[in-house]
Amino acid sequence: MNLFIQAGIVLVLVAVATVAGLLWKARTGTAKKISSGEVINLAEIRAVKNGKPVTEFGERVTFLQFSSEFCSQCAQTARLFHELETQHSDILHIEVDITDRLDLANKFNILQTPTTLVLDKNGVVTSRIGGAAKPQTIQDELGSFHI
Amino acid sequence: MSATSKTPAGIDPRGPRFGAAITSVLLLITVFLALDASTASAAYGLLAVITALFAIGAILGNSKHPYGLIFKKFVRPRLAAPKELEDPRPPKFAQLIGFIVAGAGLVLGAFAVPYGVAGAAAAAFVAAFLNAAFAFCLGCQIYVGLQRIGLIKKF
Repeated sequence: MNLFIQAGIVLVLVAVATVAGLLWKARTGTAKKISSGEVINLAEIRAVKNGKPVTEFGERVTFLQFSSEFCSQCAQTARLFHELETQHSDILHIEVDITDRLDLANKFNILQTPTTLVLDKNGVVTSRIGGAAKPQTIQDELGSFHI
Repeated sequence: MSATSKTPAGIDPRGPRFGAAITSVLLLITVFLALDASTASAAYGLLAVITALFAIGAILGNSKHPYGLIFKKFVRPRLAAPKELEDPRPPKFAQLIGFIVAGAGLVLGAFAVPYGVAGAAAAAFVAAFLNAAFAFCLGCQIYVGLQRIGLIKKF
């Protein structure tokens, strides 16, 4: 094969990967509004926090984070939400590992982790954040709950 | 926080990304060489080496991988301490996927499938490049999906 064509193919490959990376970076961690009115059943997801089952939603907002075993961004995201939770008493962060919970992965159609559902005080899903939540996304979500 | 209790000791997240940068350059060279018949055997040899390196990463983890050792000895001492440590299992999972994709390229090449080596090297390149340049985490993106379509089973 002609050397220039070979080099051209390699350059196109790098360009395609770069564009894919930039698109992914722009999209990941942003929120999508959900208006289905779905209510989360805490007993069904078997959420546990500090060794105890979670039975109540946050006073204003709950961040329900789905994580998995081979996910480096899950821990980062959990730390971010945990900090928020310690600063605001009306925010609750719940983390559920779906590595062994395919039922939840299927039910909520989770393909990537972390995936975070934002719930209002009644447990109604208001948005969905795919990927590691960006700080701006979290600020906007809190803003929509007047926090 | 159910996952934290069994989480192994953390590693510097820049280590795997350093390795991914080297891997992506080698894979790009493989693609280049695989496109011409006169250098196809060199491409095959290089992909075999890359596959072996993926195997080391998938079995022993990043800290015992040659790139991990180079990072630890020569790169990390020149950097500031990392902001946070990372779970070593996600990069190990990514190495396993790399091994499968690169290994598939070797099999396709052995059967002289046209562009088998170049295609597999290109696919592995994209993942390694995204990891190095954008901190893309393959385990985050595909693990749950693979489980849901039944390719990974956990007992």
